[in-house]
Amino acid sequence: MGKKLIIMKNITKRFGDNLVLDDFNLYINENEFITLLGPSGCGKTTCLRILGGFETADEGTVEFDSKIINNLEPNQREINTCFQKYALFPHLNVFDNIAFGLKIKKLDKATIHTRVMDILKMVKLTGFEHRAISTLSGGQQQRVAIARALINRPKVLLLDEPLAALDLKLRQEMQYELKEMQRELGITFVYVTHDQEEALTMSDTIVVMDHGKILQIGTPEDIYNEPNSRFVANFIGESNIIPGKMKEDYLVEFFNKEFECVDKGFKKDEAVDVIIRPEDIDFVPPSKAKIVGTVDSLIFRGVHYEINVMIEGKEITIHTTKYRKIGDKVGLSVEPNNIHIIKHIKTCVD
Amino acid sequence: MRRLRPYAVPYLLWMGLFILIPTIILIILGFTNLELYNIGVFDITLVNFSIFVQDQVVNALWNSLSYSFVTTLICFVIGYPVAYYLSTLSEKKRKILLAMMIVPLWSNMLLRIIAWEKIFTPTSIIADIFGISLDLLGTPTGVLIGMIAMYLPFMIFPIFSVLEKMDYKLIEAAKDLGASDLQTFVKVTFPLSSGGVVSGVIMTMLPAMTSFVLPARIGLGKINLIGNIIESKFMKEVLGSSGASINQGAIISLLLMVFSVISFVLITRVDKEGETLI
Amino acid sequence: MMKLSLKRKIIRIIGLSFTVLSFLMIFTPILVILVLSINASTKGYSWEGFTLKWYLELFQKDVMREPIMNTLVIAFASTIIATVLGTMFAIGINALEKKKRIQMMVINNVPVVNPDIVTGISLMIVFSLLSFTLGYYTVLIAHVFFSIPYVVLSIMPRLKKLDPNLYEAGLDLGCSRISGVFRVILPNISTGIISGALMAFTMSIDDFIITYFTSGAEYMNVSTWLYATLSRGRSFTPAAYAYNIIIFAITIAIILFVNLKRDRKEKTV
Repeated sequence: MGKKLIIMKNITKRFGDNLVLDDFNLYINENEFITLLGPSGCGKTTCLRILGGFETADEGTVEFDSKIINNLEPNQREINTCFQKYALFPHLNVFDNIAFGLKIKKLDKATIHTRVMDILKMVKLTGFEHRAISTLSGGQQQRVAIARALINRPKVLLLDEPLAALDLKLRQEMQYELKEMQRELGITFVYVTHDQEEALTMSDTIVVMDHGKILQIGTPEDIYNEPNSRFVANFIGESNIIPGKMKEDYLVEFFNKEFECVDKGFKKDEAVDVIIRPEDIDFVPPSKAKIVGTVDSLIFRGVHYEINVMIEGKEITIHTTKYRKIGDKVGLSVEPNNIHIIKHIKTCVD
Repeated sequence: MRRLRPYAVPYLLWMGLFILIPTIILIILGFTNLELYNIGVFDITLVNFSIFVQDQVVNALWNSLSYSFVTTLICFVIGYPVAYYLSTLSEKKRKILLAMMIVPLWSNMLLRIIAWEKIFTPTSIIADIFGISLDLLGTPTGVLIGMIAMYLPFMIFPIFSVLEKMDYKLIEAAKDLGASDLQTFVKVTFPLSSGGVVSGVIMTMLPAMTSFVLPARIGLGKINLIGNIIESKFMKEVLGSSGASINQGAIISLLLMVFSVISFVLITRVDKEGETLI
Repeated sequence: MMKLSLKRKIIRIIGLSFTVLSFLMIFTPILVILVLSINASTKGYSWEGFTLKWYLELFQKDVMREPIMNTLVIAFASTIIATVLGTMFAIGINALEKKKRIQMMVINNVPVVNPDIVTGISLMIVFSLLSFTLGYYTVLIAHVFFSIPYVVLSIMPRLKKLDPNLYEAGLDLGCSRISGVFRVILPNISTGIISGALMAFTMSIDDFIITYFTSGAEYMNVSTWLYATLSRGRSFTPAAYAYNIIIFAITIAIILFVNLKRDRKEKTV
């Protein structure tokens, strides 16, 4: 990782009475693929718009390359944006859309032509230069939008839910291509999405946000394996969240049984939440198991079965390739390093 | 887009200058003896209301209400079926017929009134060419026909624009759910077009109520509307003639504004952004 | 379904006959004006043979020159000013948050719904308050005033269809605030601007009531000149009918031209 390219310090933003960003602090490294992940309304798009210069923060500073850029107009920033729903210019064709930024910089015609042709090749749209925007498919429009932003050779590319309008197959393809592009060009990508799968696949760093605050920052592996809160655990993949009690360091009790774990630093008998991923639970014969339950429902998901098991009136979800009938008695086991302990937060759902 | 908001600010000031300020001044003029061209000390008074006991003014008020009501009613009875019929035609026919209905509005209003004046004269050119002799100058029928012809398009356009945009699937859905043609119309089509009807009624009634050239010419000055009174109170003073009083004119104008405001509230209820107005 | 039921047939016939009746009522005065413009008689009470002399008189004699010139100058000037201002205001209004946008549109529609006579009096009062002498400038301001709301109304639907990020994409790619408007917004709302301008022009050229209240005794357009002539109990030259037919024909030609061009443009896109 390179140096810190962008530093957002104590950013606060309100729309009317609505606090959208609440004392938000984040730094972004050079050449990093960073994803802001969170449900709609969590402030991620606003954060992006403040970086792009479309909104100004009520409080706090944005530093870019060690200079404060709070009051710079969007056209004075070495940052370009790939907008939600693309915002391609309907009155211009593919070539003129892509050439837009270069024409404003008043580059000579030959240079513009070469650069547009090069970038069209990169986004695999050679031959499309004279097409009208309205005749392109969603995926092609997406590529034009990326080309239009990248041709200006920005230091940072902001992407606001760029794949949201595409169908599943295309989305997966584009995820791969975007990651490739970012690696080859060596540009910082700041990516906004509410899709956890997208975030896990592409990012170097994931920032999980909710209600204008950062909940957790980390690599995809960190975030997935060590969620630091109920919200993160639930938002990133599926989770079983089971109320428990910390007996001592490395020993937790839930379902009235004691389990070894890898967490420490809790008070004795402190109430905790135990998080276990559905794929981390294994079936074992009931006789050898600490916890035993009955299969309550079963859905075939393609790669695996999703099986709900009732244990003492609580439902636990398990992803497994092993088939069990509804009504079967099953024993469950979990490896100690797959048991994640977080502080118990009281919610009204309990 | 946020940074384009300042573009709207001068418009607010401009509208304030030409709508809010004159309204305030009309109120002041109406309730005082202030002279518009000689602004100085003035007293608050209700003396201007004496205008409402003058026979001429009472008649004009009654005429305004009755003529505009009848005109609007007939325009609606004719206009709704026309709008409905037009909306059922193919797109090409619809476009052509609608254009044909707009085109006559580009002809000078005064000359169109004069044309009706000629038609309603027994020894007119119409009588000479077609042998149809009408003698309707100075009669209520003549004034009404003139008004209907003048304002009918303003009833048809808004209703048509709503009907045209209506999702035909809604009608199919109603029929699918067992409604007869009549029930479909009464329960689905008409309620959905009510916005257009409100706009149409207002865009017909207000101009009809305030017209003054048409009653003056076709009514031969015998049938006066509120507009004629306002004209005589305001313009004759501007042009320097007797019997004029801007203060009395202001009171009548305020009365008209009350009608405008009511209409306005109704229109903004059915069509917040004025999409049925053009 | 090919055979319409009797009930539906009757409804169709009613619709059709009312439509015919409407067109008859709307077109009769136009036909009379046309006939009067090619009738040799000066008084216009009887048909005295075909002539084009009124059309020639329009260009040869001075009777109507001043009101016609005034009408045209005001129409062109007010159209240009109202279109520029109306476009600017519409862009501003569209950028407002929803509640404020609706409030501004309600204000915008006041002059549209208000009877012309109320608008005319209101303007007259403001002008006298500002001690403006009624004449060319007051009529020009008045026409700009009543045209702007129509320009705004015809541009608004186009603006609403635009992606709200479009302008920002322009800024992002290097446009300044002003050049973003010219390079990104205006090209995409041009059809709305053109129809707004056409509407402003046709409203201005035919206006009587508002001009009447804001022009004073000296300055006249064709409508107020006609009214003044009639009010003095005089008759006017049939050249006025000829003028009306010419303006009428030119307007139709312009609208046809614009529409055909737009259709063709839409087909090629």
